[in-house]
Parts: sequence; C-alpha cells; structure tokens
Amino acid sequence: MASKSRWANTEEDAALDAKLKKEKEEKKRLKAEKAAKAEQERQRAAAEAARQRESQAQQQQQQQQQQQGEEAQNDRPPAKRRKITPEREDGGTENTKLLRFEAGGWAPSRSVENYDKLNDIEEGAYGWVARAKEIGTGKVVALKRLKIDNTELSQTGLPETGLREIQILKDCSHKNIVGLQEVVVGEDTSRIENIFLVLEFVEHDLKSILEDMPEPFLASEVKTLLLQLAGGVAYLHENWILHRDLKTSNLLLNNRGQLKIADFGMARYVGDPPPKLTQLVVTLWYRAPELLLGTKTYGAPIDMWSVGCIFGEILTREPLLPGKNEVDTLTRIFELCGIPTDESWPGFRRLPNARSLRLPPSKNVSASSTGSIIRAKFPLLTAAGSALLSGLLSLNPDTRPTAKEMLQHEYFRQDPKPKHEAMFPTFPSKAGQERRRRHDTPNAPGRGQAAALGAVDFSGIFAGREKEERGGGFSLRMV
Amino acid sequence: MAHMTNPLATVDQLYRRTSSYGALPSDLQDAIFFATQSLTQAAGLLLRLPQSVTAQASVVLTRYWLEDSLLANEFSDVSAASLFLVAKLGAHPCRPRDVCNVYAYLLSPASPLLRPKLSPSEPDPSSYYLSESAYAAFQARIMRLEARILYTLSFDTHVALPHSLAVTYLQALDFCGDSSRAKITRRVIAYLNSALLSPQMLYLTHQPNALAVAAIYSAARDPEISAKMPECPWWEVFDVDREELGFLVVGMRSLEGLVRKLQEDFNGFNKNGMITRDDINTEMIRRGLKITNGTNTGTGDMDEEELMMRSLDARAERMDE
Repeated sequence: MASKSRWANTEEDAALDAKLKKEKEEKKRLKAEKAAKAEQERQRAAAEAARQRESQAQQQQQQQQQQQGEEAQNDRPPAKRRKITPEREDGGTENTKLLRFEAGGWAPSRSVENYDKLNDIEEGAYGWVARAKEIGTGKVVALKRLKIDNTELSQTGLPETGLREIQILKDCSHKNIVGLQEVVVGEDTSRIENIFLVLEFVEHDLKSILEDMPEPFLASEVKTLLLQLAGGVAYLHENWILHRDLKTSNLLLNNRGQLKIADFGMARYVGDPPPKLTQLVVTLWYRAPELLLGTKTYGAPIDMWSVGCIFGEILTREPLLPGKNEVDTLTRIFELCGIPTDESWPGFRRLPNARSLRLPPSKNVSASSTGSIIRAKFPLLTAAGSALLSGLLSLNPDTRPTAKEMLQHEYFRQDPKPKHEAMFPTFPSKAGQERRRRHDTPNAPGRGQAAALGAVDFSGIFAGREKEERGGGFSLRMV
Repeated sequence: MAHMTNPLATVDQLYRRTSSYGALPSDLQDAIFFATQSLTQAAGLLLRLPQSVTAQASVVLTRYWLEDSLLANEFSDVSAASLFLVAKLGAHPCRPRDVCNVYAYLLSPASPLLRPKLSPSEPDPSSYYLSESAYAAFQARIMRLEARILYTLSFDTHVALPHSLAVTYLQALDFCGDSSRAKITRRVIAYLNSALLSPQMLYLTHQPNALAVAAIYSAARDPEISAKMPECPWWEVFDVDREELGFLVVGMRSLEGLVRKLQEDFNGFNKNGMITRDDINTEMIRRGLKITNGTNTGTGDMDEEELMMRSLDARAERMDE
C-alpha cells in the first residue's frame, strides 16, 4: 500500500485519490439509499400491521408514507455532506506538493564481458586503463581495472582507496568530473578479483597536451581551463569531498574543450570539524606546504594549493615546483612564495616538521628579498591573474581563496574573456589510438609512515639573492 | 541530494524475499534478521565504532540479503563482513584481527548477547580464545564475503542515515531548546536505531526524511514523553504524507511484539546466543519441514565451514562442562 504512493508521481496520486473518493461517495450514496429503502420497508410493514387493525386509517397512512419518502429524499443530500466534510479536512494532502526523493535501487554488477576492448591507454601506478566499446550500445568508454594486491586482498580485503574512488564517483554528477557509468566484474563471480570501473572516455589528459603543444595556451584558454577546474573543485568541496591528488595528469580534456577531474584514488569524504587524516597525500610537486610541514588537520585549501600549481603549469607548460624530495620541494616553495613569517602564517611554527626548520632570520634580511617572486616569474600575467595565483599559493592555508571565491575572481572577468569551450582547439588523441607515453610525474604517496624532514637548514636558500645584479636602488624586473 | 537519499528496494526484490528463498518460513527469516542485526550492533559497540558506522553496516547487510540467499553464508560472517567493510570505507577502519576477536567473543557462551541472563560465574576467557588457524579461516571468509557484498550491491555502499535529519527536524519543531527536551531527542534516536533491527527493513523501503518524521511522531506520542506537537499535519512540511507516516509508525512500534512472538514460536531463539545455520536446520527438522539449501556457491566450501563451526561448537560445549 505504501509502495503505491512512493512509486507513483503526485499527479497520478491525486487522480487515484480522487477516484477512490468518488467510489467512496458512490458507495455511501448507495448505502444511504438502501437505508432509506429499509426504513420505508419497515414503515410499510408497520403500516400493514396497523392497517389490519385499523382499516380506516389507510388514507392517513398513505399520506404519511408519501411524507416519509419525501423526507428520505430531502435527507439524502445533507447526510452526504455531513459525512464527507470531516474526511476532506483530514486528508488535506490533496493540494500539498510533497517532494519525492528518487535514488534508484541496487543489483549485482554486470560482467566485463559486456565490453569489447579496443586498445590499452595506460598502465600506471593505479592500474590498467583501456579504451573499450560497450557491445550492447556501441558506446566507447574507458575501462579502468582496480589494482588489487593479492597478499593485501587476503589480509585487509579490497583496497579502500579503490572502493572510496568508486563510491565518490558514484555520488558525483558534474560536468567537470569524470563520469562513472558502472562497475563491472570478471566473469567468475564466485571470487571477486577482477573489478573494472567503466568511465566516460575522455580523449586527452592535460599533462600530455602541455608536453606536446608547441605554443602555450592562450590567455583566454587558460581562463576556460581554470574556470572548469575551479567549478569541479567547488562541486567536490561543496559535497564534502577532498580530492587530495589534483595534478595535470589527473585532469582530462575532451575534444569539445571540456575539462574533467579524474582519479579519485586519494579522495575521501570529510566532515566539519575535519576527521584525523593522513598527511601522505597529494603528489609531491603539488603538495601544500602545511602537508610538508606535517599538519594533522587540513582541509579544502590543500586542493586549492594544487590548483595554484596547476595554474602555473598551464602557463609555462612546465611543472611549477618539481621537487626531488620533501625538503627540496619545500625549498622551491619558499624560493617562489617567500619565507613564512609569524605575521603571514600565524602558528606555522607549531606544525610538527616546522620545529626542525632553520629559516633565515627575517629581521636581518629586507622583506623584498624573502617575499614572493610570483609576480616576477609570470610577467605575462595581468595584475588580477597574478593576484589569484599568489592567493592560491599562499603559504597560510587560511588565506587561500576557496574554489567558490576563485570562480568569482576578477581575473575571469577581465579581457581576454574565457574562450567558449566549443571554440577550444583540438589535439590528436593518444588515448584514442596509440599507447600513451609514461609520465615522469612522481605518484601520490603510498601507505606507510610519513617521512619526517629531519633537521633541515633553509638559511642558505636566499643567500644568493643579495648578491644578484642590482642597480642603485632600482631593479629591472627579470623576465 | 546524495546525503539525504538512499536507493530503495524494488517491489520485485521485496516480493522475492517472501516468496522464494527455499522453503524458509518467514518467521525464521525474521529471527535470523533480528539476531544478526543485534549481533552487528553489539559488535559495533565492542569495536568502539560510532553508531553511524554500525547503522550503515546494518543497512548494507540488509541490502545484501535482499539480493543474495540468507543461507548462503553463516549469518555472523555476513554481519562481520558488512561491519568491516563499512568501517574500512569511513574514518574509523578496524583491523581484521579486532573484528575476529569481537565476533569470537560475541559468539561464545561467555557473551550475554541473545541469552536470557548472565550466568553469575566469571566468564571463562578460554571459551572465546581464537586459535591462529581459526583466525585465518575467519579472515578468509570475511574477505571473500566483503567482495561478495560489494559485487551484489554493484559497489554502491552509500547509506544516508535519518539520525541527523531527525535532530534538524526537532530543532525546526523547536524541540531542542532546553535540556528537558533531551528526553524526546534520545527517544527519537532510540526509535531510529531499533528500526535497524526490524525485519520489516524500513530503511530499505523509506527515505531518511520519512524515517526521521515517523520516529519523532512515535516518540512524541509515547506516554512517558507525551510531547505536544503542532495541530496541523506538520509531517507534510518534511515531505511525508499521512499514509507513509502511519505505516512507519506502526512498523517502528511493532518490533517488540514481533520479537516476543518469535520467542514463543522458535525454540532456540533468544536462549542460546546467536542463531547459526545449524540452529535453523534443527528448527526446520523440529517443525517437520525439509530444508532446501538456498546456496548457489560451491558446496565443498560450505562443508568445510560447517565442519569448522561444528568443531567450535563441540569445543564450546566441552568447556561448558
């Protein structure tokens, strides 16, 4: 009974209700009629008996009978009204529009045999990806096989990173996030060992495009890419998801100029206040300084730092901070963004790895030589653009703009305006036909203990700057 | 919307549960369901998992059983696998070793779970000692079942719980102002948690908003609470119609009676701890019914499990003496 109203939409419901009501009324009317008839019958019987006793009262009786009939006739409509009014008050749902939440159901996974493999795309740290065609529909998809370690499988079961990726992708629906069509398994379902994600096929990844393109993206194209990236990240953060591995090789681009965030192997749901999270996240080159300094509580700003690194990489076609290890990365960060101070990043000294840092004494060195050189490094960027980039690459996570704020940034409103996606240039797709080159980007950290930085001496990194060529009180911006 | 909605069981799925599944009478199905969910709850407590994790595990388990045969696996294994899986995916993973230990204890005669009353003597720790080989076997079963559950649910483990919605609704109804109102909130949460144990599978047939409203309605109507609710049909504000509310209120309040009736009808229920497949077998024989094993997996695997369970049972009995 309850299920009926759940599946039907409200219009049908209303119609059904009305029909039921009508039937009820009809029944009631019939009942009333019957009752009236019975009453008449009874009266008639009584009259008959009376007639036998008093034949002379026959005329009177007939009159009475007529009267009775009239009364019954008159009685009927008011009786109906009386009975029905309270019901209408009770069942007041007729005019109320109730929201219905539909979220589908569940059924066992289909078999991978429903797909025909076309060609391999990539064999990376996260497993094997192939281009395939769904036999039933002819639709081209990307099949990503979940990498399963056999000893791990028997110890701790299926990898939670893979399962989290599936869950998060299933929950997401956004044009800038790669779509998960379904999850299929190998033919033998008695042991589930082969698990494949059926993803929407996207022709390129941003990393390969940047490596191969002879000329950098135009300013308008950069804005389109960044707007889409920020849009996707804003959606994730709004839904309490941290991606935790944003980098150019995880950003896909299709031939219609649409950017899609992919690879959610590191992603997870967070709450507010954030739960205890591992610091072993984000590929080194895109890792935020607070993570490198060993923070235990972090949030959305770590993704925004990665967005900043990607911004820089799109502009120059080179990774912005390609550190060899944690210390080297931190050195490069401080070289680019300046040395943190208690004013610019209150409390950073309390982070676990910050205690072993030896920073150049800020009072001896002028602010210009320890400040950010982002403006100088990207001379072609407008003031608004470099303000956004500097904001994203703020050492203090609290001062980085959120993805939502980024979308509203002045930079995107300035000329040149973002290029329409449909006007985007196209590129020859490697994933489409050829085997993709292996990237030399390091991978996101694996499981295990976070590496402590140890005692690191950063006091020397700005030593050279003082000696740089400089005119008397005037310096040309180095381009 | 994902945080407020759940996939719901189809009519077809619900019909299949009552009509097929071999010849298992529905009251035995209910007994299995209630006992297994109670076990999941108890294990969640002992593993110090937040109730949100345990509740999600219960829902995942229910969804799995709607698709796969009840008798395909030992009930306690299914419970352990769901709990392990959901805990792993959330912020509170637990080690397989801990899960094994907790279940070994809960299934042992030392545990008060589903037994009339605690024996006055100190529980004997050796009754829930887990040997290395028994641990390995348990772990292998859990891992296999984890994959099986995921496959059956097509890897969708998303569960939206009504608990936080209920608190929000209580706030909207101005019920969370002062501490005296804590009573109704506690009762609402109690109704929601009890509904997890109900074989009517309310979490699979209704969305969280409806469950939350029904729990609030029931709690407010309880004589010890008797909170004053608005005169108007306030449930419509939360997108629940009268018919749905009525159904859920009856469902939520019927659990106690249902369990009492099970106790009368089913010999082993609530007396000897957690129900096993052997208990169901015994009960079927007692009732003169033939058990048609609803398993679709290899039988060799089953025998091995049963043998091990029997040997464990035998050892437990010896220790009792």
